[in-house]
Amino acid sequence: MRVAVWIAAPVLIGALYALLGALGLVGLDAHGFTTEHVTHVLGAGSTWRGIGWSLATATVATAAATVVSAALAITFRGTRIGDRVARALAAVPLPMPHLVAATLGLLVLAQSGLVARVLYAVGIIHAAAGMPALVLDRFGIGYMATMAWKEVPFLSVVAMSVIATRGPRLEEVARTLGATPGAVLWRVTVPVLWRGLAPAAIAVAIIIAGSFEGAYLLAPSSPLALPLLTYERYRTIDAARRADAYVLVLLGLTLAALAVAILEWVRARWDVD
Amino acid sequence: MGRRLAIIALAFSAVAPLLLLGLWSVGDQWFFPALLPGRLTLESWRHVISSRLAIEATVSGVVALATAAIACALALPVGRAMARLGGWRRRVAAAVAFLPVAAPPIALGLGLQYAFASLDLTGTIGGVILAHVVPATGFLAIYFAGVFTALDPRIEDEARSLGATPLQVWRHITIPIVKRQIGDALALGFLVSWAQVPLTLVIGGGVVRTLPLAVYDYVRAGETRYAATGALLLTIPPMLALLAARRERVAPL
Amino acid sequence: MWRGDPSINRYVDDWVAPRLRQRFGITLNAVPGQGAELVNTLVVERDANRRFGTVDLVWINGETFFNLRHEGLLYGPWAGRLPTAAEVDSASPIVSRDFEQIPQGYESPWGTVQFALVYDTARTPHPPETYEALRLWIHAHPGRFTYDQQFTGLTFLKCLMYALNGGVGRFQGGFDSVRYTEARDRTFAWLKEVTPDLWRHGVTYPQDIAQLDRLFANGEVDFAMSNNQNDVVTKMRSGVFPPSSRSYVPRDGTIANTHYVAIPFNAPNPAGAMVVANFLLSPEAQAEKARPEVWGDGTVLKGDTVAHRFAVPEVAPEYSIRLQDDWRARIRR
Repeated sequence: MRVAVWIAAPVLIGALYALLGALGLVGLDAHGFTTEHVTHVLGAGSTWRGIGWSLATATVATAAATVVSAALAITFRGTRIGDRVARALAAVPLPMPHLVAATLGLLVLAQSGLVARVLYAVGIIHAAAGMPALVLDRFGIGYMATMAWKEVPFLSVVAMSVIATRGPRLEEVARTLGATPGAVLWRVTVPVLWRGLAPAAIAVAIIIAGSFEGAYLLAPSSPLALPLLTYERYRTIDAARRADAYVLVLLGLTLAALAVAILEWVRARWDVD
Repeated sequence: MGRRLAIIALAFSAVAPLLLLGLWSVGDQWFFPALLPGRLTLESWRHVISSRLAIEATVSGVVALATAAIACALALPVGRAMARLGGWRRRVAAAVAFLPVAAPPIALGLGLQYAFASLDLTGTIGGVILAHVVPATGFLAIYFAGVFTALDPRIEDEARSLGATPLQVWRHITIPIVKRQIGDALALGFLVSWAQVPLTLVIGGGVVRTLPLAVYDYVRAGETRYAATGALLLTIPPMLALLAARRERVAPL
Repeated sequence: MWRGDPSINRYVDDWVAPRLRQRFGITLNAVPGQGAELVNTLVVERDANRRFGTVDLVWINGETFFNLRHEGLLYGPWAGRLPTAAEVDSASPIVSRDFEQIPQGYESPWGTVQFALVYDTARTPHPPETYEALRLWIHAHPGRFTYDQQFTGLTFLKCLMYALNGGVGRFQGGFDSVRYTEARDRTFAWLKEVTPDLWRHGVTYPQDIAQLDRLFANGEVDFAMSNNQNDVVTKMRSGVFPPSSRSYVPRDGTIANTHYVAIPFNAPNPAGAMVVANFLLSPEAQAEKARPEVWGDGTVLKGDTVAHRFAVPEVAPEYSIRLQDDWRARIRR
């Protein structure tokens, strides 16, 4: 277990420097101990709105991706050709980088993007402004859709693996006890799938919440997602405000640690192994 | 019926993005509301060889290979050790190993910048590799923990009881058994580094230029053609590698 | 250097770099980085005692110079020693003062530009000539105007601030907090009045100039902006803007300023950097750079300077810094 600690050492070192930087002892505004940065950031509405936005959009996007992945895994669990083709197709976009997915999202969903042009050609809208704002909007609809689409391949692969390894036994038992196919599905398959998928889903949510490229290209300027807010403070022309970034770094790392703790707790409760 | 629709949707989702990127990479004068570009040009593709894109792709490749190798070497023994733990220790170890993956890369990068700078590592390829190794190792440690959990430790124990040294056990028993998984792990580690943006941005200090950074810059500059070209260069190699890996393997399902 | 504009990149990579290599044996490696990141990198490197820095020459102006000098992060003075420095038009107030600061040899001028609005002749045959006319135009065309959150948008806000508060003369001679606060309030009142008719009702703004350019090119808004009135030409050529685009300067005046190159305190190769800076100042390099098909960046040399119409100089950098902070806090929320 000590060895595992070594892996997390860089994060702890980073957190330590961020703490020193936040208190004005090192780094961008190192003029001596001060709590000004901490109070300024913690007291700013933009901080909490940014955190809230990042968490909310990550949760919704992950939930959507999880539902789709579960449905795919259940629908295509057989051994027919169609099933195998579907499973292979689902995994193809797996290696697509977040950056590329975000770029595509922008080009497809913008008010002057591909979908808008198709709607215009068909006559449903008559100007770019007629297309609803899906990207750079405060609800982050395009952002959530793009992130969800990007994560479906990964969650599908996990879901299919769970169904294949843990499903058959319990389902067999249920059937021998006389359960109808519907009951087998909803009382055995889905719960088993959910329990196996939950840790992966939580992990995906954490990754989405911390994503930088996706937010930069698709997220609105207000509320400003946490990774973007952090980066903006780091780059601001007002030198006195730069160390605020360190406080935001600490907040990000703390939230990540909390989320990981929740993840392991869930896994402890529901994992078979 | 629903199945057929779903299969079509999956096929579309797998193929359409690449086709779209391909079209965007050669389209010129393509403004709203045109459904097709006004002109086609191979300018950005010709530029790939003569421009920095080729260099950036190579740098990305080198960094990603190094990251994969180092992270794999570090994560294998850790994952194996984690698999042998039980109960709460194991939960804590898993959480601790996942932390570098869960940490937002921008936060990780900014936090590490000072430490890396004092070690003269900022702005160097070595520094970027080390930065990528941080999340990659965590990711692979968890992967290997899963791998070794499914394996029976008794083979190794028997070998030890028959007098084999730990090194011999490693060389002749452990590694050969997980050869295929090591291959998978290298691929995963490669991918973590290949697609990375914020860590390279902060630790690389703008001096180390990788392919994803180039695509990021092109998108921000509104250069859609070059961005799409770079995006294809970024996406296609991993996809090909994935297809090759799947074909070699007996379908587990 | 800022690498957000491919035309500038081409000038540096494909025209300047080969000549440096041929004539001086210098390999120029131009890497992306902007003011703020640069200052941060240098501050961290200085604090962490990084022995050799990573860049030799940096492209900066105004606020960045202010921050770098303030923190003692620049090597120098050196600019006066360059052979071509004698050719520089130091009589021009736009060249000799960088945001009202005297370079004192810590930075060498490179080019001058003037802020301009960009419009599409096909959509807007008669663009508004004053900021008041712009205000009325915005109300008459709801959702068709916005500005970005980076340097260009900030410059637009400053032009607005000068015009609404009696002209730039009132802001010269150092930073005055009282004057700033009055001016800011009047400017923000103007902004708040037009906000409901801005793009997306002023709830969100383009992250950077490229996003604004994209909105303009695709017809989502009718105006783009640029810190360089000539880069409309290069952007039309590279397909970023439609061919019917033009730029213009409102009668109320826009900011013209000079951009510079400087050497960081920990540059590994300051001598090489000075050779590069000297070459950048050469009449040949300046002439090439001024061509509209190449970059369209104004020259800083004597005799060649084109008089800018309605040009207004930059003032103390604190105005920019405060304005951006306040905009983020009060307008963007």
